[in-house]
Amino acid sequence: MADKKKRKRSKDDEAEELPFKSILEPDAVILELFKSYVSSSIKAAAGAGGASSSSSKPLTLADLSLSSSCREVADLSLSSVQTEIETVIVQIARSILAGDGFSFNVPSRAASNQLYVPELDRIVLKDKSTLRPFASVSSVRKTTITTRILALIHQLCLRKIHVTKRDLFYTDVKLFQDQTQSDAVLDDVSCMLGCTRSSLNVIAAEKGVVVGRLIFSDNGDMIDCTKMGMGGKAIPPNIDRVGDMQSDALFILLVEKDAAYMRLAEDRFYNRFPCIIVTAKGQPDVATRLFLRKMKMELKLPVLALVDSDPYGLKILSVYGCGSKNMSYDSANLTTPDIKWLGIRPSDLDKYKIPEQCRLPMTEQDIKTGKDMLEEDFVKKNPGWVEELNLMVKSKQKAEIQALSSFGFQYLSEVYLPLKLQQQDWL
Amino acid sequence: MAGDDVAETKKGSSKNTKNSSNESKLKQKSPAEFFAENKNIAGFDNPGKSLYTTVRELVENALDSAESISELPEVEVTIEEIVKSKFNSMIGLIDRERVDTQLYDDYETEKAREKRLAKEARVSEIQAKNLASGKKNKEPGVSKVLKARGEASYYKVTCKDNGKGMPHDDIPNMFGRVLSGTKYGLKQTRGKFGLGAKMALIWSKMSTGLPIEISSSMKSQNYVTFCRLDIDIHKNIPHIHLHEKKGNKEKWHGAEIQVVIEGNWTTYRSKILHYMRQMAVITPYAQFLFRFISETPDKNVTIKFTRRTDVMPPIPIETKHHPSSVDLLLIKRLITDTAKKTLLQFLQNEFVNINKTLATRLIGEMGPDFSPSMAVKSITSQQMVRIHQLFRQAKFDDPSGNCLSPAGEYNLRLGIIKELHPDMVATYSGSAQVFEGHPFIVEAGVSVGGRDVKQGINIFRFANRIPLLFEQGGDVVTRTALKRINWNSYKINQTQDKIGVFVSIVSTKIPFKGTGKEYIGDDISEIATAVKSAIQQCCVQLKSKIVKRLQAREQQERKRSLSRYIPDATGAVYEVLKQMTEEHKKMRKSYGEEDKVIIEKVSKDIITKEILTEKLAEHVEQVDYEMALEYATQSGVSEEPRENIYLQHLDPNKTNFIDLHSPTFVFRLIL
Repeated sequence: MADKKKRKRSKDDEAEELPFKSILEPDAVILELFKSYVSSSIKAAAGAGGASSSSSKPLTLADLSLSSSCREVADLSLSSVQTEIETVIVQIARSILAGDGFSFNVPSRAASNQLYVPELDRIVLKDKSTLRPFASVSSVRKTTITTRILALIHQLCLRKIHVTKRDLFYTDVKLFQDQTQSDAVLDDVSCMLGCTRSSLNVIAAEKGVVVGRLIFSDNGDMIDCTKMGMGGKAIPPNIDRVGDMQSDALFILLVEKDAAYMRLAEDRFYNRFPCIIVTAKGQPDVATRLFLRKMKMELKLPVLALVDSDPYGLKILSVYGCGSKNMSYDSANLTTPDIKWLGIRPSDLDKYKIPEQCRLPMTEQDIKTGKDMLEEDFVKKNPGWVEELNLMVKSKQKAEIQALSSFGFQYLSEVYLPLKLQQQDWL
Repeated sequence: MAGDDVAETKKGSSKNTKNSSNESKLKQKSPAEFFAENKNIAGFDNPGKSLYTTVRELVENALDSAESISELPEVEVTIEEIVKSKFNSMIGLIDRERVDTQLYDDYETEKAREKRLAKEARVSEIQAKNLASGKKNKEPGVSKVLKARGEASYYKVTCKDNGKGMPHDDIPNMFGRVLSGTKYGLKQTRGKFGLGAKMALIWSKMSTGLPIEISSSMKSQNYVTFCRLDIDIHKNIPHIHLHEKKGNKEKWHGAEIQVVIEGNWTTYRSKILHYMRQMAVITPYAQFLFRFISETPDKNVTIKFTRRTDVMPPIPIETKHHPSSVDLLLIKRLITDTAKKTLLQFLQNEFVNINKTLATRLIGEMGPDFSPSMAVKSITSQQMVRIHQLFRQAKFDDPSGNCLSPAGEYNLRLGIIKELHPDMVATYSGSAQVFEGHPFIVEAGVSVGGRDVKQGINIFRFANRIPLLFEQGGDVVTRTALKRINWNSYKINQTQDKIGVFVSIVSTKIPFKGTGKEYIGDDISEIATAVKSAIQQCCVQLKSKIVKRLQAREQQERKRSLSRYIPDATGAVYEVLKQMTEEHKKMRKSYGEEDKVIIEKVSKDIITKEILTEKLAEHVEQVDYEMALEYATQSGVSEEPRENIYLQHLDPNKTNFIDLHSPTFVFRLIL
């Protein structure tokens, strides 16, 4: 601790030109401030929880009396998945033998069948479904692919193994044509059988990485994320393998981009301010979302998000927070409630005097996306977000996290983040 | 080299044309000389193009002439190849054998000859080999005999029409004096420079020195004028060889013009044929006979473009200038030429869209130097500038399109059908619009499929009802069709389908670009928008037809596309059933009663993959039958393909018909 302070002091002298550095308190003060915030928010939450309901358990769909019924999936054991598939296949066989052809009743995942539930703060799937008959030119392809995927997953259940989406695609390239088709049907199947995608034993390739003050077991091996080198630990695609989470971190830092993640990991930001740093390198995959939720639930830490100041940054934030429309049937397991938007926020551009040349003009498409986002319920529920987004659309400027590099590569970890923490500047 | 020259002489010529009364004062160079020196701007860049331009000038003259007397045009064009010896004998030159062979450019040295012989031997060897091995020989590629410099080819171009003819005494001046006609007012015309056959005559004078021959007769005349003349380029006057009257036994009226020029049929063959074909598209009420006569009979070409309709567009009406379209020179000329006395009368009578009230208001606005009763001839150059400025800034009603004569949707459609025989065609005629004080109308047609049509987009451009063939890259039509139309959204495949895009623009002034006046620029947003919307309108019409056709095709292919997936689906189902049977046998899993029934059957081979496949196929068959039935009841009895017919007159002299016109058809009551 002592030598760290020394190092900081020496830097203080030489880096006089870094803007806002002067108003930065010593790290110990910031940490104290943060700790008091955390404890007060926990108290507040406990108080609210105690007052409002008998149990502190989070709300579920069943607790709400919604006007339209909604569809949710659950984790199923392998054998029950197998039974579900067999039931479907036997039905099909009967139908074919009776000369009626066959069809699937697939829940619709279209935007019109989605519902944002403010009480839960996530998107859920309504119960509309579409019939996919075999004997129709428009649906014959999808129906056939669905049958094939069912048979393949049945095999996985029997052999009790995991495969990746890519593996699945390569079992019948000729039929599937390209991976997006088999992937889409896979989501249909899990929705149809009423189980999560993980229960189908099909996983996506590893995408997310985690580094920092976290220790967990992966398939029985203990992993210490402070000792994973610079790149960090790849988030296991199969969440079942993960357990025994321990941490002395104060918060979880969610980073949109690989580049910013690299910077923080190399600077060992998590040692200066105890935290866990996670990124999914762009749009989050299922594994990262599951992992983030598990951390949040088990460690009960606040989650702070660092995303680009553009509509897509906010969109990524919303996927972590409220779920994606594509996977809304499983939003209960995939979403992490109460993510704070730390930065880069449109108001930061002026607040931190980010030079003009680092800001980019928004394209027509960007502005349209921004305006569309303003109509989304998950944005509307947070007045601070609406204000920020309005500012973005009005100023027609966007900036990436890297824009901060204009003050030096380490400005992000040296000044920007500490200052944000000190001022508790998040929404 | 040409740059300065053109700029300088152009100024001279425009003064000459615009201000003919001052001609003597300003005379520097005769107009004939000017065009002889700058023949490229009139389309006489090289021998090949000259042949093409000569043909088109003669054809367009012929059409104008016939239309001016409301006669359905009949045009005969003959191009006769004249070999050198024949040409020499025509001009009375005796053929001479080459004596000093090394003097000539195409002299072949000993070395070159060896090389050539060796190469020819090699080629014939390869061909023999190919022949032996049964491979098809490539077209032996007409061994290109490089035409030596100075080895010109000559052509006799004859064009005969059934038009108005020309008055006996006027013929020498009509051909032998460039820009002799004074056009007053404004009119949609075919000609680009108003040069017509005169330029061809200058070209013949330059390349062969042979005179032009004209036969002509007018409707009421009982004789035929025959005239042989050439032009004195320096003095810009006709030089008459023969000017006589002959008997007219056939009661023929019209003109026949014959000119001998240097040309190049080989390189411009396709252009000339394209021109004739496109002319037939836009002028379906005319009959064309095109002939090419060569020394070698297998090169001969005879094409007849038959008449497809007898509805002619009205003759374009001459109109007055719109105030916002005039320039200073034009104001000056109008003032010089006007018969009106006062400024008020002048404004009121020499322009469209200026009535008395507006004229008075305009004069009031011009300032204290002007008054309604002032003598128009007393206006100074300075005052003219004031008038010009006011014309530019003041607001006037748009000129009406009544003075224009578009081809008409009906004729355009027939023209396309007649020449391309497309599977589908749609046409659209826009309303008149205005660009810089000149009204214009855009008509478009889009066809899909057809005879002799290349895959992709084929563009046919017409300006004032004549085809434009050159410099298509920069043209507004080309750019619009290729870049601004989203063909996919109309279910048309831009690269696979045979698409014909026809756009005809008529105006009192076509804003041509480029020296040869061969294309309309893409920078005029009024025209670009009108072209785009016209093409889109056609596409919308086509889309519904195409969708219907796609549905019909889907009907035909439904069974096949469904059956394709049967093995995959039944295979997957059977695979699971088989696995279940295994599991059941090994007692690893217990199944419900209903499942057991199926499993039993699978293990006893009562249910096999083949049976599943068969049953599913039966179902597909049944569904297909039901849907086909439904489709048939919905769309009604399938229509027989209809043939378009055109009924010729039984009695050409009987003309008391009542025609009911619509943009796409004519209904005729024969009384």
